[in-house]
Parts: sequence; C-alpha cells; structure tokens
Amino acid sequence: MWRWRLLRPLPVGGGPGGVTVPRAGLKKYVLPPDYSGITFPERTKLKFMEKVPAVPKVKREPRQLRDIRGPSREATDFIQGQYGILALGGGYLHWGHFEMIRLTIGRSMDPKTMFAIWRVPAPYKPVTRKSLGHRMGGGKGPIDHYVTAVKSGRLVVEVGGRCAFGEVQPFLTQVAQKLPFPAIPISREGLQRMREEEEEKKLNNQNPWTFERVVTANMLGMRRYLSPYDLQLKGRYWGKFYLKHRV
Amino acid sequence: MAALSGGGAPWRRGWLPALQFVRRGSKAVTRHWKAMHFQRQKLMAVTEYLAPRPAIPPRCLTPRKEKVEEDNGYTRLLRRQVEEVFRDNRMIAICQYNSMPGEDVVLMRHYLRKHNIEVKFVLNEIVRPLLSQSKYKNLLPLFVARNILLVSPELKAKEMLRVLKGVPQINLLGACIDDTILSRQGVENFAKLPSLEVSQGQTVGALALLPSQTSSLLQRGPAHLTALLDEHIRRLQAGETGGPPEPTPAQRSGGH
Repeated sequence: MWRWRLLRPLPVGGGPGGVTVPRAGLKKYVLPPDYSGITFPERTKLKFMEKVPAVPKVKREPRQLRDIRGPSREATDFIQGQYGILALGGGYLHWGHFEMIRLTIGRSMDPKTMFAIWRVPAPYKPVTRKSLGHRMGGGKGPIDHYVTAVKSGRLVVEVGGRCAFGEVQPFLTQVAQKLPFPAIPISREGLQRMREEEEEKKLNNQNPWTFERVVTANMLGMRRYLSPYDLQLKGRYWGKFYLKHRV
Repeated sequence: MAALSGGGAPWRRGWLPALQFVRRGSKAVTRHWKAMHFQRQKLMAVTEYLAPRPAIPPRCLTPRKEKVEEDNGYTRLLRRQVEEVFRDNRMIAICQYNSMPGEDVVLMRHYLRKHNIEVKFVLNEIVRPLLSQSKYKNLLPLFVARNILLVSPELKAKEMLRVLKGVPQINLLGACIDDTILSRQGVENFAKLPSLEVSQGQTVGALALLPSQTSSLLQRGPAHLTALLDEHIRRLQAGETGGPPEPTPAQRSGGH
C-alpha cells in the first residue's frame, strides 16, 4: 500500500454557490496496479559474484580501454524486471562494487514481493598492478584483480516485482551514486521516454550544423583533429564520458 | 621518428601528422576529462543543440482543457439512487445537517421512520449536476454545504415539523412537495392546512349547500301563505268570541 489516494484539487474561490468550507467529499478509490504478468526468478536476491573467475587467467591481457569507450551494445533493454540502474558513462566494476550493490539492494528490498537480477557478468578482465615504489620497466606486472567493463547505456541491475518505482527509487539512487561512473535509477517507461526525447531533440534541432554532418563530410578538414571513432561516436562520447546534453 | 629524421624540410617527404599527435599526451580513454584540441572545442561549440523557440510560446496557444474526471461505478450508483429518490417520493425536504451525536441521529431516524419518512444523506457533487439538468433547477441553491434529505411517499408535514422541532441541529431549508417548491414558511403553512379528508368534506359540504336550500326556496311562497292563513284562522277564532266573521278574507283566499 504505497500511495493509493488521488490528491483532490480544491476550486479556487469556491464554486458558483460562493465560498465553501472544504470538507470531505466523495472518496475516489484508485484501482491497485496490475502485477499479473510478472514472473519471479527462483532466487529473488542478487547472486553472489566471485572475485576471481572459476578458471583464473594465466596470460596477462593488454589494457584495451575500448571496452569502456562509446555506447553499449548489450544489456541496453529490460528483460525481466521493471526498474533498473542505467549507466551514463563507462567504467570498470570490481568486486567491492559488486558486494556493495548486492548488500545494499538485499538489505533494502523485500524478497517476498520484489526480485533483483544482475545484468553485468562477474569480473572477468584481469588488471595488472606493479608493486609500489618501483621504477618503470621490468616487464608487465602480475594480475592484481579482475574487473567488469561497463559502457554507457548499459543496465547494471534490474529490479522487479509487486512494487512501485517510488518504493525502489531511494535505494537504487543510493547504489547509483556509489558506482564509479554516473548512473541513474530508471523504469521501463522512463527509458522509453528518454529515447523518445532524444529522437525529438534530433528532429527539432534548430542548428543546421551537426557534428555528424561535419564529420561525415569532413567539412573544413575537421577529421584532422578528430578520431576515426568519431564517425560512430558522433560527438556524444568523449573518452569514457557520455555527453548527455549533446544531440 | 620518420618526421624528425629529415634535416630541414618535412614538407618535401610525406609525413603522417597523426603520429605527431599520438606521441604526446594521454590515450584516448582516460580517467580524467581529456583536454580537447582547440579546433575540436570550436566544433563542439558550433554544433551544440539549439532548442526551437517559436514567436508565440505553445502554452499561450493551446486552449485550457478542463479536466474531465472519468465516471466511477460508485458515482453512477449514487446518481441512480438520487434519481430514484426524486422519482418515487412525493415529499422531499432538504435540511441543513450540523453534526449531531450518533444516538440522536438514530432516534430522529426512528421517529421519522414511524411516519414513513426516510432520511437520506446526499453528496453535493453528485446531486448538483443531476439537478441542473432536471426540472428541479431551482433547488440548486439549497445544495450547498452539508445537508440531508427527508423523503416520503406520503405528505406528513406536521409530524415531520414536530420531530424536527425537537432536534435543534437540523434546520429545514426548503421542500419539494408534489413538484411544488416550498420555502420553510410554505412548509409550515402547508402543515397548518387541514388534512385531505377534512378538506374534501368541506368541499362536498360547500357544494351541497345550494341544493339543500333549493327545496326550502321553492316552499317559501306556500309556507308564507300557510302562515298567513294560520294567523287569520287564529284571529277569526279570537274574533268569534268577540264579533261576526269577515267573509272578505275567505273570498280572497278562495280567489287564490
């Protein structure tokens, strides 16, 4: 029972009968939302993510920061849940982040009426670190820990069940602010609205010059100062950052 | 470096400007916000989003839509009940209701029920739209603030007023009796009127008065004559003892 009553606006200055003292009128009951099409997974709480994959990697991998750059291709839409955390920038999630997410959400949600699922894999990418205080050189350092790469536009966790967005939003914001990249809690409708707004902005942009147009036509030789990746990124991404205000 | 190996003129042999930029500075993806080349900064500034700005803002053009609340099943039921009340009952009295203790309400309802008068609590927001469309438009000013309806298929205004006199928290505002709107004074006058049987009897009596006089009117002439004759006979009898009888009144009576 989160918030069922509709707020009644009072007529300004009273109706045609003059000024009336506000008193209780007819109570309008709003029907509770329909949760019929929701299937709960077997375990409603978030699974524990291992620090190190089952088969630890022997060969050290190059850094490959392109797994942070640009928009995400996977996990951009909702699968089972209704609400989730959307990443608005790129970054690496390590085991500490996973534990924080798991414990905060596990503490704040009701496992009987809500469920949560991971939308990111367990840490798989090895990150090397050289020991402190040594000079450059001497080869690549040993593997220190594992991380998961997250690109902008990817969902990190999904939450669903017999709950409203307002119930879920506080603890999802709490989690989202602690992530290493900017993130927001979002619902299915919110995500759709965001995409519609983007399309609208693209259509009603009054500026005849767009980054995409300049780059594809190489106007004024701008590609000299831009990366070949800017043809796909179109000025909305810069490094790991997602520029939300750009069209 | 291919560019730096040449002695003086890099323009003569081909040189890759991209390599120059890659050598210095950081990688493409950094933790910090990487400084953009000035040309890129200029490009980003030029290609920013410009929001549409019409001469007249759209909120001045769209007409203000009145929020139409959708029909609740419950409101429909209440409306139907009110319509039934107005249709089935002959007397409908509207009273102002001030808060009363619960047992007093029950007692009042009990006394009124004895005279077959029902007490109905109505909500103004349901009654007002109904009345404004029906023929009871003039009852609209009464449905302001908290009120109740006393409805009955019979017309027992005197008993109702007596019960209401004992309840100071209920004030009679007006009534609609047999599709006639009466004010408080009108209801009191109506209560003072005699009952239907009495007034029927009175009417019948008034109508029957004239025919009852017809026979006495017709008989007035001969009755007068009879009275005169009786008087005459009496005088004659009184005169016999005193003097001779007079033939002239006998002749006159024979002539008639």
